[in-house]
Amino acid sequence: MKPIVSMGGCSPPVRRARRALGWIAGLAALAATQGAAAETLLRARLASDILSTEPGGRRDGNTDDVLAHVVEGLVAYRENGEVGPMLAKSWTISPDRRTYTFRLRTGVTFHNGQPLTAADVVWSIKRYLQPSTHWRCASEFGPQGIGRIIGVAGPDPRTVVLTLDRPAPLLLQTLARPDCGQTGVLHPSSVGPDGTWRAPIGTGPFMIGAWKRNQYIDLVRFPRYASLPGPRDGDGGGKHALVDRVRFIVIPDSSAARAALLRGSLDVIDSLSPTELGGVVGDRRVRLQYAATGDFWLLMLQTRDPLLADARLRRAIALTIDSAALTKAVTWGTSRPDNSPVPSTSSYWTPFQARLRKVDLAEARRLARAAGYRGQAIRLTTNRRFPQMFDAAILIQAMARRAGIRFTIDTVDWANEVQRYSAGDYQGLVFSFSVRMDPAMDFDLLIGDKTKDPRKVWASPAAQALLDQASRSDDPVTRQAVFDALQRDFLQETPAVVLFNATRISATRANVVGFKEWPAAQQRLWGVGFCGARSC
Amino acid sequence: MLSYVARRLLLALPTLVLVALAVFFLIRLAPGDPALVMLGEGADKAAVADMHRELGLDQPLPAQFLTWAGHVARGDLGRSISSGEPVAALILTRFRLTATVVVIAVTLATFIAVCAGMLAAWRQDTKLDMAIVGASTLVLAIPSFWLALLLLLLFGLKLGWLPFVGYVPFSEAPVQAALFVVLPILTLTVGQSGVLTRMMRSSAIEVMQLEYVTHARAKGLSEAAVLRRHVFPNAFAPTLTLVGLTLGHLLGGIAVIETVFTLPGLGRLMVDSILARDYPVVQGCLLFTAVVYIAVNLVVDLCYPIFDPRVTAS
Repeated sequence: MKPIVSMGGCSPPVRRARRALGWIAGLAALAATQGAAAETLLRARLASDILSTEPGGRRDGNTDDVLAHVVEGLVAYRENGEVGPMLAKSWTISPDRRTYTFRLRTGVTFHNGQPLTAADVVWSIKRYLQPSTHWRCASEFGPQGIGRIIGVAGPDPRTVVLTLDRPAPLLLQTLARPDCGQTGVLHPSSVGPDGTWRAPIGTGPFMIGAWKRNQYIDLVRFPRYASLPGPRDGDGGGKHALVDRVRFIVIPDSSAARAALLRGSLDVIDSLSPTELGGVVGDRRVRLQYAATGDFWLLMLQTRDPLLADARLRRAIALTIDSAALTKAVTWGTSRPDNSPVPSTSSYWTPFQARLRKVDLAEARRLARAAGYRGQAIRLTTNRRFPQMFDAAILIQAMARRAGIRFTIDTVDWANEVQRYSAGDYQGLVFSFSVRMDPAMDFDLLIGDKTKDPRKVWASPAAQALLDQASRSDDPVTRQAVFDALQRDFLQETPAVVLFNATRISATRANVVGFKEWPAAQQRLWGVGFCGARSC
Repeated sequence: MLSYVARRLLLALPTLVLVALAVFFLIRLAPGDPALVMLGEGADKAAVADMHRELGLDQPLPAQFLTWAGHVARGDLGRSISSGEPVAALILTRFRLTATVVVIAVTLATFIAVCAGMLAAWRQDTKLDMAIVGASTLVLAIPSFWLALLLLLLFGLKLGWLPFVGYVPFSEAPVQAALFVVLPILTLTVGQSGVLTRMMRSSAIEVMQLEYVTHARAKGLSEAAVLRRHVFPNAFAPTLTLVGLTLGHLLGGIAVIETVFTLPGLGRLMVDSILARDYPVVQGCLLFTAVVYIAVNLVVDLCYPIFDPRVTAS
């Protein structure tokens, strides 16, 4: 209100202008007092709205993140990438490794007050497996997946028995996957009598509140939440709601999000664009966190393409790429280069995986010549939705040119790029895969028969055999040897060049406590609260 | 008058049919599959095929068009592929906000343009004229997203006077909602006032050189009366045409401004739908925009006689 007080000596037009500004400031203050309520409200950014409230159904990364606060599965990923208990207290596996018997925790209630029973788990799993649900992970339990579920039963209220047609060591990892909605257990009243989706009635620390499409979604603290003991651990462990309400605000523009954080209109930005770092580094109102994730960015090379079918040319391309320099430029120095499909956050990532391919232009030229390459243009597809992909394409083009390899860049929109990826319709494609918590799942993204599934990058029977071996085994030593062998073959055959594992940058207001990034690249707001009005 | 309106509306029908045909087939020509966008990079072929079947995308294009056109004729624009919401309701909700911002901004810009344009024409070739022309050229040259960011940083962040994220509708918190739209309105007003001012100035200069204006002055009328009664009505008609075109154009969506200020308006809906290949929403938005465009221009045409009595509906 200062402008009004100090306007005494001004001319009438200036006075009027100041009065108007004073009114605006006054209204702003009034609005601010309206927003301030007794309850604690934590505001976090979503770059785009969630697609639905249906776990693992109509979804994207934002949908998974929000719903992870609302629903829980039998098991959940821990911080170290292992799977731990969530709604299941324990489980046993039959000697033939086809039957899993889960013992449920007691005292767990749904948001509608009903106790969790085996019948709810059976109903949820059966519902996920119905084609009409469009469950993201239904195919994992189909003929091409990890194993088909041939039976799910609840012999007593605390026991669930899940039977598969063959041993599936990746069952628990798959059930816990964030993009599968963690196979969240729902109360049957989440759907209407005709089976249509209503809202998730789960067991998580927050309940769904108001959802104003493209504006915000509110989650309200569930007062009767039964937390696991101990500290927060990935998607499991102690999950305490420290605020009354969480509001995910949809802010598409990253500059606007940064400005909102600095102003105090926002408390958490979970995935801050590296380009926005300059505006917040060193600002005492903000705390930054950097965490390596399992997301990996890569250049995919179409092995069915007449030109790129020769592995020598693909290796030549790889030898021109300075991964360290590219990663530094593309991620503004926030991520580390990595040429392995095994993410650096995995326990299977050893010094063997950490080795970077050295740039060797002379060898690249020799290999390209030996492959019969005569300077033909190679089409490199990228997009501008993810600026890092576009920047990476530009750098790959420049680096390859030093060895006489010519890329032409084809910039398309994201929907088009996804279609090209799915159809295998590309020569080179800059792409990224979101985190998978087990390296077998990462390799599974790449390895496969291109005639059956054109999006697969690496059609190698030997690699497929190794992958099957990794998927069948749960012995860490055996699996490490398999992943090392896969890594060796991958570098030799070069169906793709892994560039880096992304680092996730988060920014919180200085008075926010408990926020922690983790390798799953997933926003967690349980265990997050405030320590004071401005800072701690 | 009524027959004129009816004739114009009838003439609009073929335009709308052409628009419907164009938007339906053009969006499908663009590469990209809504099912793939929705299901993500890990989706298997069976799931994608299921989704196609559910969305009716497995049908031949003419069959899809006829189904859609039949629903549109009954006032049903379908449901969003991404969110499952009815498209008509989605568009109307978003349009309310866009229309509020655009109508206020264009009204303000028109008022500024009339005042500044008349003043510049009246003081042609003076420093004042040059200042107005210079300022309007400057605001014309500033990209709207940059201006929006500057205003956001100044009034939102630096001075902290106005909110810019977390929009709430008028029905929930009128004061807060009003404050939220100040910056988008300001951005649009500044941007649009430039082009309208230049048009108003050039029209007014043209009119001022006509004999009847000299005659009015010779009669001894004051400058204010000459400008108000003889120059303004005739000079405003071309500007009104431009106002109509601007309104029609902006009501179709102000995506950039809505994105920067996180306003859930029609422009953002359209951009998001195009990126997600949400066919029903894209088709609905474009058809709706065409209807708005036609309606706005009809209203503008009907307003001409107010300013220029020589123009009649007949």
